[in-house]
Amino acid sequence: MTEFEPKIVAFVCNWCTYAGADLTGTSRIKYATNVKLVRFPCTGRIDFMLLLKAFGEGADGIIISGCHPNDCHYTSGNFHARRRWIMFRGLLNFLGIDTRRIQFSWVSAAEGGKWADIVNSTVKSVRELGPYNDYKKVADFLETEVTNG
Amino acid sequence: MVDIKKKANELLAANAVQVVIGFEEGTSGKSRAIFAQDAAGVDKLIFNSQCVLNLAVYLTKHEIKKLGKPAIIAPLPVMRAIIQLASEFQIKESEMAVLGVSPEGKLVEFQTFAAIESYLKDFKIAMDEKEKEILAKISNMSLSERFDFWMQELGECFKCYACRAACPMCYCHKCAVEQNKPQWIPVAANNLGNLEWHAMRAMHLAGRCVNCDACHNACPKGIPLNFLTKLMMVDAKEIFGQDGPSLKDGHLLSTFKPNDKENFIR
Amino acid sequence: MSRIGVFVCHCGENISATVDVEKVAQVAGEMGDVAFSLDYKYMCSEPGQALVQQAIKDHNLTGVVVSACSPRMHEPTFRKASADAGLNPYMCEMANIREHCSWVHERSEETTEKAIDLVRMMVEKVKYDKPLEPIKVPITKTALVIGGGIAGIQTSLDIANCGHKVILVEKEPSIGGHMAQLSETFPTLDCSQCILSPRMVEVAQHPNITLMTYSELESLEGYIGNFTAKIRKKAKSVDHSKCTGCGDCWNKCPSKKIPSEFNAGLENRTAIYTPFPQAVPNKPVIDKANCTYYKTGKCKICEKFCKAGAIEYDLEDEIVEIPVGALVITTGFQVKGTDFFPEYGYGQYKDVITGLQFERLASASGPTLGEIRRPSDGKVPEKIVFIACAGSRDEAKGIPYCSKICCMYTAKHAMLYQHKVHTGKSYVFYMDIRSGGKNYEEFVRRAIEEDKVNYVRGRVSTVYEKNGKLIVKGADTLMGGQPVEIEADMVVLATASVSRCGSEDLAQKLHISYDAYKFFAEAHPKLKPVETNTAGIFLAGACQAPKDIPESVSMASGAAVKVAGLFSKDEMSREPIIAVVNRMAPPQFSSCVGCFLCQTACPYNAIEREEIKDRNGNVLKTLAKVNPGLCQGCGTCVAFCRTKSIDIQGFTNEQMYSEVMALLNA
Repeated sequence: MTEFEPKIVAFVCNWCTYAGADLTGTSRIKYATNVKLVRFPCTGRIDFMLLLKAFGEGADGIIISGCHPNDCHYTSGNFHARRRWIMFRGLLNFLGIDTRRIQFSWVSAAEGGKWADIVNSTVKSVRELGPYNDYKKVADFLETEVTNG
Repeated sequence: MVDIKKKANELLAANAVQVVIGFEEGTSGKSRAIFAQDAAGVDKLIFNSQCVLNLAVYLTKHEIKKLGKPAIIAPLPVMRAIIQLASEFQIKESEMAVLGVSPEGKLVEFQTFAAIESYLKDFKIAMDEKEKEILAKISNMSLSERFDFWMQELGECFKCYACRAACPMCYCHKCAVEQNKPQWIPVAANNLGNLEWHAMRAMHLAGRCVNCDACHNACPKGIPLNFLTKLMMVDAKEIFGQDGPSLKDGHLLSTFKPNDKENFIR
Repeated sequence: MSRIGVFVCHCGENISATVDVEKVAQVAGEMGDVAFSLDYKYMCSEPGQALVQQAIKDHNLTGVVVSACSPRMHEPTFRKASADAGLNPYMCEMANIREHCSWVHERSEETTEKAIDLVRMMVEKVKYDKPLEPIKVPITKTALVIGGGIAGIQTSLDIANCGHKVILVEKEPSIGGHMAQLSETFPTLDCSQCILSPRMVEVAQHPNITLMTYSELESLEGYIGNFTAKIRKKAKSVDHSKCTGCGDCWNKCPSKKIPSEFNAGLENRTAIYTPFPQAVPNKPVIDKANCTYYKTGKCKICEKFCKAGAIEYDLEDEIVEIPVGALVITTGFQVKGTDFFPEYGYGQYKDVITGLQFERLASASGPTLGEIRRPSDGKVPEKIVFIACAGSRDEAKGIPYCSKICCMYTAKHAMLYQHKVHTGKSYVFYMDIRSGGKNYEEFVRRAIEEDKVNYVRGRVSTVYEKNGKLIVKGADTLMGGQPVEIEADMVVLATASVSRCGSEDLAQKLHISYDAYKFFAEAHPKLKPVETNTAGIFLAGACQAPKDIPESVSMASGAAVKVAGLFSKDEMSREPIIAVVNRMAPPQFSSCVGCFLCQTACPYNAIEREEIKDRNGNVLKTLAKVNPGLCQGCGTCVAFCRTKSIDIQGFTNEQMYSEVMALLNA
């Protein structure tokens, strides 16, 4: 029986975390293959609906990462993103969606090591949580034929 | 009610307004909206505990705008909605008259929106005991219990969008749910689509909901979706100190403080 | 229908060692809308780029995905190659399978699968890419320099010598800044005023430079190449076109008790004054706050004595509006006063002075004409204690950084003192000696070895007055922490350099960032020291961080070349990755509802309100509109928009959605 390998999507900002992940690569620090990065110009651009969409398409975990507060390339995008996540996380939790599967972080362009850390620890914790079957059951309504009621 | 009818008639007679938006008696002892354009219409105006519809929803509808300058009967939830709509540039002071109704049913006249806002300072939005009990009950469930609870409740939804139609804050003439490139929310009624719809709507109402319960009252299945928006209100107040609609303070999500606190970002 | 080409790079062995690149190319070739795919050893090389260009022509490609290194590395390379082959460069994207894949994973099936997923994601993105044209923005070839110290003077001269117009704004009545206050400069002991004055005069006489002294920036609007600056020219009360600079007015002025800013409070000046004899312009202004006439309506002695009839009491502040293309901020620094130090007397002891005050004492045109004398009784001090790091490198005082110049000027002060008072004894209490510049270390050794300055390694815990002397209690850590007590005649504190009062306000007017100490923030600490994150606004000198004169001058010239580079073209091209609000046919005009959440969120004030009017001029709707010149492409507005009316080219909603879908659907 193969061990469950979580599928994790990372939404990252171009100027800090994407560059930080580049540095991880240049430094040849190894991390798990489960995480795939989607590049955004800024964390402020990340629409909260994309998180639900990611879970709906089979992601078991999500990482969202950007510039440290005060360091945003566009001055304040990450501040707006922070407020948005505070409110959205509260809502997700209330709805019973597992926020332990979403890892938020600030990773700067110089923090190649931190990025590898975040990836590895998120993969580990999501692996322990197991596949996100509750959500998948709801999402795969064409197969499970669970519609309304 | 007498003072309100009198004022309404005065305004119509002087042509200061062309339509009075208020409540009238509906079917089965409920009430519904009326758009009175003459004394006969004004005569039908009522105000009682059945008047739960949030009339402010009509202020942004172009069919009503076409009738002319409105006067609106405004109990507390409508007053709050008016302030919120004004802060979002949807209505102008000069383009309407507000006939406020105090909690005792007496007429309160307002000349400016700022006057409404300062009147509302004595009637801050707060969760009553029953609401607090329900919020606590849901919050105290375990994660999977909560998920099952909401899947059960939201599973009842069949995407009639009555909640959206009744909410005064849902004035977007092309709602996000009507986007098809990309299709953010699936159109059909299934648990995933319902979850996404209600989650999106709750986020779009973050910092804007006035706790009027119009959405819940309009829902034909009686889904407690107003509790999603109530949660956002409670969070907005506890975490960011936002206390009800305001003309001056910016919107909750489009402003920020450099020292906003969170404990989940590494 | 798209026809996309996928080019998978081996990058030598950097990618092919861990990722099965042939398989990636093969699977990519089978993806929907992919018309062509190949793998090659070095895509970025000339033959590699030629392959891309050939494929574009042979297969009529409408989009290109190069799966190789990070786009931060080679996106411009491949975009240019595509453009040269006739494909719009914004239809070319890169999938990062090196930094984010081959370099961070071991060779395995999963690694290759991940590379394929990343390629699929970018293929989906390219499907929704639209051809974009760079935005052309005209440039006003006038520079505004704020701050007339050595950095501002240098940068103005450099830009003016390139043939461009410069407006130099200085808030004091004269340019010169702190350098004009210095007596001699390290490490050469050049007379500061002697090397500065010729530059000051050059600025005043340069045909391309307009000098506005006693003026401040009122507001700034616009964007790179197209700023509109409002300058407040404070009323000088003296008509400089008539004034001859004869000095009768300030000689006769009865208000003589105003502490002179130039002399660091060691001497007084009059209400009508020039700050120092070599001031440029050498014509006085009236300090309205301290002038008897302005306060009480009586006096007018200066007017009586002015033979040129230049006094004009009724002049008002004038606000001028100037279009400029770039700004250089050179507002400099200030030093902490002695009142910042409770342990050294809260500024109560007259003979405890700052380094800047010592400069004025040592200066030949200063209050003591160059003789070192105690401010309290005018006697020549026989023993001076210099305390280095006064306030700097001290977390408890809120100044954890090093002020950089103090080790050098303390050595200089001690040397000057020894040169002027041969029998004097000087002590320097230090923590470290930071003398890293050219000839700096030799300079300090000179002070110690030739001029016999006593360097004591240790801190001073307190200074107090007793019987007319200042008792300095410190420790000598090189002698095991032995307490040292010195009865000094004068104590000079090398107080911390801090940002200027009003820096925060200026930064907010300019929309530039600043750090926790209110020093202005450079765009990148290593590679972009003279730029800010606001395009078109540059920095030079001590307003960015404490620094000495050679560094300020270097930075000033650096900023000048950035400005000259900007002005070298008539038009500027901007990346078209900007936000756009949709527009449709009437009666909708747009799905935008005019809530303007985007406007409040935009850090660049790039969102404007557009009124849609009917033929009679009645406003039908007010909608959001993005100013393409200002928008920097962060996309924050896009995430806010409830109706999804605003979208950002290059990272559209459709693209981000399809990327996420592609990534997760195997």
